[in-house]
Amino acid sequence: MTSTDQQAFLSVRDLKVHFSTEDGIVKAVDGLSFDLEKGKTLGIVGESGSGKSVTNLTILGLHDRHRTAIDGEILLDGKELTTARESELEKLRGNKMAMIFQDALASLSPYHTIGKQIGETYRKHTGASKSEARKRAIEMLRRVGIPQPDMRVDDYPHQFSGGMRQRAMIAMALVCDPELLIADEPTTALDVTVQAQIMDLLKDLQQEFGTAIVFITHDLGVIADIADDVLVMYGGRCVERGTKEEVLRTPQHPYTVGLLSSMPSLDGPVDVPLSPIPGSPPSLLNPPSGCRFHPRCTFAEKVPGGLCSTERPLLKVEAGRGSACHLTLDQRQEFFADLAATRH
Amino acid sequence: MFRFLVRRVIGALVILLIISAVTFSLYYALPRDPARMACGKVCTPELLAQVRHNLGIADPLPVQYWHWLQGVFVGRDYGGLGNCNAPCLGFSFTNREPVLGTIMDRLPLTISLALGASVFFLIIGVGTGMIAAVKQGRAADKIASSFSLLGSSLQIYFVGYIAMYFLVQQLGLLEQPSYTPFTENPAKWAAGLLLPWLVLSIIFTANYTRMTRSQLVEQLSEDYVRTARAKGMSRRSVFFRFAWRGAMGPIVTIFGIDMGTLIGGAIITESVFSLQGLGRLALTAVDANDLPMLLGVTMVAAGAIVFANIIVDAVYALIDPRIRLA
Amino acid sequence: MSFSRRNFLIATGVAAGASTVLSACSSGDAGGSGANKAPSVDKAKAATIAVGTKADSTGAAPEVPGAVKGGTIYTLDQIDWDHLDPAQLYSSYEGACSVLFLRGLTGYKVDSKGTTTLVGDLATDAGTATDGGKTWAFTLKDNVKWEDGADVTIEDVRWTFERLFASFVTQGPRYPQGWLIGGDKYKGPYEGKHLDSIEVSGKTITFKLKEAHADFNFMLAMRGYSIVPKKHDTKEKYDKRPFSCGPYKIDSRSIGKGATLVRNTHWVAETDPLRNAYPDKFVFQFGFQSLASTDRYIADQGNDQFTLSLLNEVAAERIQKVMTDPALKKRVLTQVDTTCYYFAINTKRVTDVKVRQALNWAWPAQQLKQIRGGALSTATATTIISPLTPGHKDFDLYGKKTKPTGDPTKAKALLKEAGKEGQRVVIAMQQSDNSVKQAVAIKSALTKAGFTPVLKQVDKTSFYSQIGQLDNEYDMFAAGWGPDWPAGYAVIYPCFDGSQIADGGVNWPQLNDTSVNKAIATATAETDPDKAAKLWGDIDEQIMRLAAVVPDYNPIRNYFHGSKVGGVVYDSGNTCIALGKVFAAK
Repeated sequence: MTSTDQQAFLSVRDLKVHFSTEDGIVKAVDGLSFDLEKGKTLGIVGESGSGKSVTNLTILGLHDRHRTAIDGEILLDGKELTTARESELEKLRGNKMAMIFQDALASLSPYHTIGKQIGETYRKHTGASKSEARKRAIEMLRRVGIPQPDMRVDDYPHQFSGGMRQRAMIAMALVCDPELLIADEPTTALDVTVQAQIMDLLKDLQQEFGTAIVFITHDLGVIADIADDVLVMYGGRCVERGTKEEVLRTPQHPYTVGLLSSMPSLDGPVDVPLSPIPGSPPSLLNPPSGCRFHPRCTFAEKVPGGLCSTERPLLKVEAGRGSACHLTLDQRQEFFADLAATRH
Repeated sequence: MFRFLVRRVIGALVILLIISAVTFSLYYALPRDPARMACGKVCTPELLAQVRHNLGIADPLPVQYWHWLQGVFVGRDYGGLGNCNAPCLGFSFTNREPVLGTIMDRLPLTISLALGASVFFLIIGVGTGMIAAVKQGRAADKIASSFSLLGSSLQIYFVGYIAMYFLVQQLGLLEQPSYTPFTENPAKWAAGLLLPWLVLSIIFTANYTRMTRSQLVEQLSEDYVRTARAKGMSRRSVFFRFAWRGAMGPIVTIFGIDMGTLIGGAIITESVFSLQGLGRLALTAVDANDLPMLLGVTMVAAGAIVFANIIVDAVYALIDPRIRLA
Repeated sequence: MSFSRRNFLIATGVAAGASTVLSACSSGDAGGSGANKAPSVDKAKAATIAVGTKADSTGAAPEVPGAVKGGTIYTLDQIDWDHLDPAQLYSSYEGACSVLFLRGLTGYKVDSKGTTTLVGDLATDAGTATDGGKTWAFTLKDNVKWEDGADVTIEDVRWTFERLFASFVTQGPRYPQGWLIGGDKYKGPYEGKHLDSIEVSGKTITFKLKEAHADFNFMLAMRGYSIVPKKHDTKEKYDKRPFSCGPYKIDSRSIGKGATLVRNTHWVAETDPLRNAYPDKFVFQFGFQSLASTDRYIADQGNDQFTLSLLNEVAAERIQKVMTDPALKKRVLTQVDTTCYYFAINTKRVTDVKVRQALNWAWPAQQLKQIRGGALSTATATTIISPLTPGHKDFDLYGKKTKPTGDPTKAKALLKEAGKEGQRVVIAMQQSDNSVKQAVAIKSALTKAGFTPVLKQVDKTSFYSQIGQLDNEYDMFAAGWGPDWPAGYAVIYPCFDGSQIADGGVNWPQLNDTSVNKAIATATAETDPDKAAKLWGDIDEQIMRLAAVVPDYNPIRNYFHGSKVGGVVYDSGNTCIALGKVFAAK
């Protein structure tokens, strides 16, 4: 992560995404900032409803414009996206910025062949002919490791296996060599071996093209594998950020700690019980006061004066590292030591 | 696809055969005697026997049915009425007209009614549904939804008579419903059927509006539609190439069923507008105990529904490659 | 009779019947007379139909005042003609329409005042009876021609009557088959054999009957005895396209939909005393239910102004509106039908005459009339012979006029006298809303009178077959009969003569009373029309004393037409609108 005064490739500044619903305003993203350089990968971690997917849909401009209020800035290579016209966004989507979705079966059109779906993106942005697009689609399929791509290009998604569909999805996203790739839990539905293959594929492609990747997941293991920097989201806000090593080894926020302790560790002792975070994610319609995590936080009572439930902890960032918690540094070292002990 | 069609057509023929046997049996399950109908005012037993012989119903039922089948497949000799070539559906008990000829005479009207009305209700219904889906939750959607609710609660005999009264009899805006063959005079054909088309459309449109709207709303929220937008496809092309494609399946299914039913005869519509189609023919046949006509009309109506179903399945497979036909 | 649509017509509307025309005999804005007089059923009085002279039988037909020639007359009716071969034609509706192209030996001449006379149509006069009514002779007119210009010959006439015996003829009236000597053995002319009891000589044909039939010439005026050309007889297929010797011929026909008649240029007006044939063209339109036709007459637009209905009546849904609007009402021809609906009492099961009389006393005539739509559509009957049929005698044996809601006290007293209190009565009724309502009213009235009524619902389509079975298990059931020609014989003989008891017959009460049978035989042979009429009236009363039936009602017909149809008069001989007299007003 870079310092804020310098212009990054993707720069999100104090982003607020609010939906109006019949029951009231949903604050899906509530003041989020981050930067991303080319060739780097930012992992965004959080439970469902933490605002991570909304953030990325907003970057692409795929939110429902009639119901959504956007505040803040999204700058892609210096271009402001939140105020861009639909036609400008259409030129960018699939071209300069692309997205890989979680459920490839649902995300691919069942009515069109794989080749057509890959090719039409290419034709849209390059004006290529049908046969050129087909050639390109075959090439892309080959690149993502589909065997016999010249035959499979005419298959429909339902004729592909799960892993192949995800590869096809990646091929589709990368067909125009995008500079920004947003991957929204691209491996969640896949089994572990396939997951590893896909991750490797993304890494290879990033090396080859220098793509900037935003990788959304709720799985810290995956983050450990691919990310350079990590951003932890809770209740529409960023609660902690830093490099992968910083966040995973020395977490500064009780939520991150909770996430880490809820995941099994291959290199840790097997008899340590997993401790999933008790409680459920906050309602974004009526979010808890103060720190949004406080109803679930085991350490909230350690903060004097009930500060956690009354005052929002600010995210203090220094050199890309920061967290939003009322606990003092000493308290954190003391309380989080157990974790470090069990995991390492 | 070819194998699918062959298999389904054979299946359909078997179904039709069963329907004919069931209709035949049900007809005689009730204590009725078609011979009484064709036996003057004072019907002596001798005369009744003569009528039975003339109508060809003196034989035991299985033999009669067998003769009917023979007529269908190889034709039949009807003595004084002449020879009846296959496919022969026999002669009406009441006016001694060939059943097939009468059906063929009525079919063009029924088909015109069904096709003409479907043009209206598809364009209006699907169009309105599309607008409602695009303008989801806004004024246009609410207006379309209210009208569709209103339309679906209307009945043909109600709307039909009111439309006749105002549009034809009071204001003289439209012609008295009538049928002129298309080949004879297309303008008169359309003018004479315009009112029934419109009234049928009012009834049917509602269904298509609701269906199109709900299907499109569902499709528009599908992941692959979002993917298409993420690829940079325009709203318009996403709407028509992706969402509409997915919404078409259920609409085609309902349309197929509606067409099958309409070609089987729109009894109420034909009665309200005094049009002589298959529906009225069926009604008259039931009323007159006219077995050959009843059987003939039943076969055509059942055939229309069965084959509409096959066409629907085939079209569905063309729309959605996930459905394999073999 | 089976009362599904076709036989409903046969049983109710059939051919000849009434004698008098009600005051609204003709109507229409154009040229109609008496249009503003309200029809009154009660004021209707029976009159005999006179037998016309040779002069009366000569054409042309008397002019209709105000009539103009030319134009087109349209019709709107529910159903097509099932039969046009005279031998198969029975319903008064088919008869009403086919008067334009079918001609028989005799027919009814109607003048613009509605007076009806029996005259010769193709015959020079209404026939000559000899041998006390056992031999009848008719002479064919000169200059009567088929539509191809060929003469109608006496051979054609003989052929017409002989072909009635062919095996394909099952639907038409069957009187000559039973009356002519040797008729029971004869199988028709197609195998080259003539029937000996029909003789031809020159232009004269002679019929020899087994028994005297004083009204043979009335019987021949049924459209079913119209003449068929031997040369063009196509047997079964003749039904579709009969050959015309009338003023019009069939130009085109679309089964179930319509037909167009154009002028037969070979027709000579001077030979025809019945038909004025004013319009150039008739366009028949089928497939219109009475509600549809009624609404079109109310709107009275375009060609509908030149349109009339011969079967469709003013729809029940609109009858109040039409009959209370003077402008509409004057376009309605109202006519009491000669059909009498009655509840036949099965005399084989209900053998005690006192019980049958008690049923008559208990009858809820008023309630039933209301259920059927009130005075606009039915008139209460107290006799079997309709007030409009010659031979009608005005009597009311069971106090229906004085106590229209029934007299349970009298009925109870009779039952007690007979020792049959609480007598079970099984009443069969058709499955329909209206008959259920009526049955409930009947049940309640009979219960009040000390009966134990049991209602049995019977499928509509088989109702008449069931009650026509001699061994049926019903004590009482609705039936109806309209005479085939305007005479007591046509009412009484088929339904009450002991010889007519048979499976499928219409002597529904299965009455076989020696004195009634004897009286019928005497009346049948009576050649003096006035005397015969009186005899038939007495027989009616005699049967009612035996209480073989409970007379129920006579239907009232309301025929609607457009504003520019003129000359709408009623042919009370054939009980239908006289289509030969109508014209298209300018």
